[in-house]
Amino acid sequence: MKTTEKILTNAKMPFCPGCGHGVCVRSISKALESLGYGSKDVAMVSDIGCSGLVDPLFATHTIHGLHGRAPALGLGVALGIDNPDKKVVVIQGDGGATIGLQHILEASRRNVDMTLVVINNLLYGMTGGQMSGLSTNEFKQYKHSDDVAEPYDIVNLAHQSGAAFSVRVNNISNFNDVLKEAISTQGFSLVELSSLCTSYGMKKISEMKDFIVAEETLKNNRPIGVSVKKDTTSLLENIKVLETQFTSNINDTIGVIIAGSAGGGIQSAAKILAQAGILSGLYATMKGEYPITVGTGFSIAEVILSRNPINFSGLEKPNVVLAVTEDGLKKVENRITFDSKVVVDRKICADCSFEVKDFLKVGGKKGAALSAVAYWVKESGVFPLEALYKVVEESKYAASLQKAIKSAEQLREVVYSYVPKNNKKELL
Amino acid sequence: MIDASRIITEAVVQSGADVFIGYPITPSNLFYSYSKERFPEFLAGPDEISVLQWMCGYSAAGKIPVTATAFPGLALMTETLNMAYMMELPMVLIITQRLGPSTGSATTGAQGDLKFLEGLISGGFSMPIFSPSNFNDAWTLSNEAVKTAVKFRTPVIILTSKELVMTQKSFDINTFETLEKVNRTPKPFEAPYKPYKAGEDMVPTFFPLGNNEYQTRFNASTHDNDGLIRKGTPESLANTFRLRDKLEKRIDEYSFFELDTEDGADDLIVTWGVSADASRDAVKLIRSKEEKVSLLIVKTILPISQNIFDIIDSYKTVTFAEENMNGMFKEMIFGKRNTSKVKTATKFGSMLTPSEIEKIAN
Repeated sequence: MKTTEKILTNAKMPFCPGCGHGVCVRSISKALESLGYGSKDVAMVSDIGCSGLVDPLFATHTIHGLHGRAPALGLGVALGIDNPDKKVVVIQGDGGATIGLQHILEASRRNVDMTLVVINNLLYGMTGGQMSGLSTNEFKQYKHSDDVAEPYDIVNLAHQSGAAFSVRVNNISNFNDVLKEAISTQGFSLVELSSLCTSYGMKKISEMKDFIVAEETLKNNRPIGVSVKKDTTSLLENIKVLETQFTSNINDTIGVIIAGSAGGGIQSAAKILAQAGILSGLYATMKGEYPITVGTGFSIAEVILSRNPINFSGLEKPNVVLAVTEDGLKKVENRITFDSKVVVDRKICADCSFEVKDFLKVGGKKGAALSAVAYWVKESGVFPLEALYKVVEESKYAASLQKAIKSAEQLREVVYSYVPKNNKKELL
Repeated sequence: MIDASRIITEAVVQSGADVFIGYPITPSNLFYSYSKERFPEFLAGPDEISVLQWMCGYSAAGKIPVTATAFPGLALMTETLNMAYMMELPMVLIITQRLGPSTGSATTGAQGDLKFLEGLISGGFSMPIFSPSNFNDAWTLSNEAVKTAVKFRTPVIILTSKELVMTQKSFDINTFETLEKVNRTPKPFEAPYKPYKAGEDMVPTFFPLGNNEYQTRFNASTHDNDGLIRKGTPESLANTFRLRDKLEKRIDEYSFFELDTEDGADDLIVTWGVSADASRDAVKLIRSKEEKVSLLIVKTILPISQNIFDIIDSYKTVTFAEENMNGMFKEMIFGKRNTSKVKTATKFGSMLTPSEIEKIAN
């Protein structure tokens, strides 16, 4: 990898007279050259702010991004290039490190092979000298800032997050050696360099000593973070093909709503119904509806079974509603029409005007919905019950699913009707 | 049975996308889980800003990255999406629309992000947005999305909705044709190589960061052909205008729509995305009543091709069918002002149904 290529171009430094950034840039370049990197071995990633003016100075590949995001961009570049002979160096200021702190922690946590140089001049130089999250209390006092909170110790934060090497250097005569060590590090390295802002900070470097944080060097012995690559197979390969093997008496379209609660096997019962329909030569859709919570609340599934291809997969008016919990019924009751066939579990309303069955009792909490589906399939004769058994036969839960389907045959042939006038239960 | 999340994921991988970088969000959940299983490389980002920054890094290194999110994630990605657009980095973003405002109802579908996307790139630029209307589109438009991203060096959005990508349907996957695989081999260029110097096709030749042949530069700020910041020079401004021109002047290369015309019809239903299937059924309903109606399903929803305007202009009345407050695509064509020519069949909070569209259109 030895080369005599120059890392810097001949472009003039774009910084204010006396600015410390030029020293940082030259030190980075010297470190890379002395380690033998050629210009095309390096991807320089720059941030926003004074430190973001560096692109024309580098003869390397460059990418100039957004404020604070350069470490995240650099992480993508490093994992994307994925070549140990190439080096990604990210440069940002203390302002960038403040707004993009998460990205530094993440790169440290993953220990991605890249070097981040944080040039800390204690302030936002490009927007008028405002204080950053890395401005020290001494400097904030000097600038009459009301903020008395301690600054981030970016070096320690990176270390605590897992960076292989993190270091703060104040003495410019050490910049080169420390940068060489950082760039040679396998994994994530962070170098915080002190820099002078002559426009908004101090005029002389000798005045800085009262305002900066002491040097520190921290190391973690960790493996480099890599992104695993794998061979995969088509998502369409393992789709279960459902060939017609039963017949159905549905000539047009039937819409079924299965209504229950989360954890009650609603979606799975609906899918079994839809698949059984397909096995019976029908087209089918299955649409789920549920709140954002996964384990609680209602769970609704709509199944459309049709002799013809289905476009719209919503259900304007359900032909059938099978409700196994009160939560479920409440969610769909305003969609029930005069023509809808409604069957509900006895626990919801033993004496309401709907057809009532003991789905929960015979099917259990997880099997009630499938029990209801099986009951309706059997009772309506839309297709043979065998179609449901066929769908579940290869499932890893085959035994319990078969039990739930079977339970429909145990339902008592009793229907209660609610008679409002005398509030009397009448056995039909 | 299959869902469009699976179809789109498989289609983008077969089209050459090689890395999925994601942050979980409802209702793009299935994209995340399918991608974890299918993509040769999968990364879980700590937040959506990181996700898109990483994607930019991968894209600048020569990969074709994909993510999937919903409005809250898209909002966080906005600044970086502008960066990707300015740097001319190919990538595909799948946006699954859900009910807003804000976190709204994450498990309810909607078509409410279109106007946000229309204005997302600061300055009045369009990003290609493909909106599949059914499973066949999910397959073919996903391929077009990857092809367009690489061909035009741009982020491309596949705009979907919860019901479109989570509803399962019986479907014969053998009807899918083999997809053309896209690669990012650099095309010929006029020497000397400059990273943002474009030829007649208005798209500069791409070389990845880290390549051994040519120094390359990417820049999010206004830049010259070398990729260096230049404020207001003719060259740098021309470079920025080129971002618009490459997409708008070549729109016919990636403009897709479906037109079902009926002879003698004065009325047209215009729709997109998840409302397309309801509109197809509404058209059947109307025609079953011996009424005449035509149907336009817009699939490349941005930039808007002249063809779309011409078709709309050729009808006396136009009904826009979409799942949002006032008809966002309608407003993109006609503005907020309603005229006797324009009707909107809109729905907010649940799916727009065929009979609701029929009622307005007929």
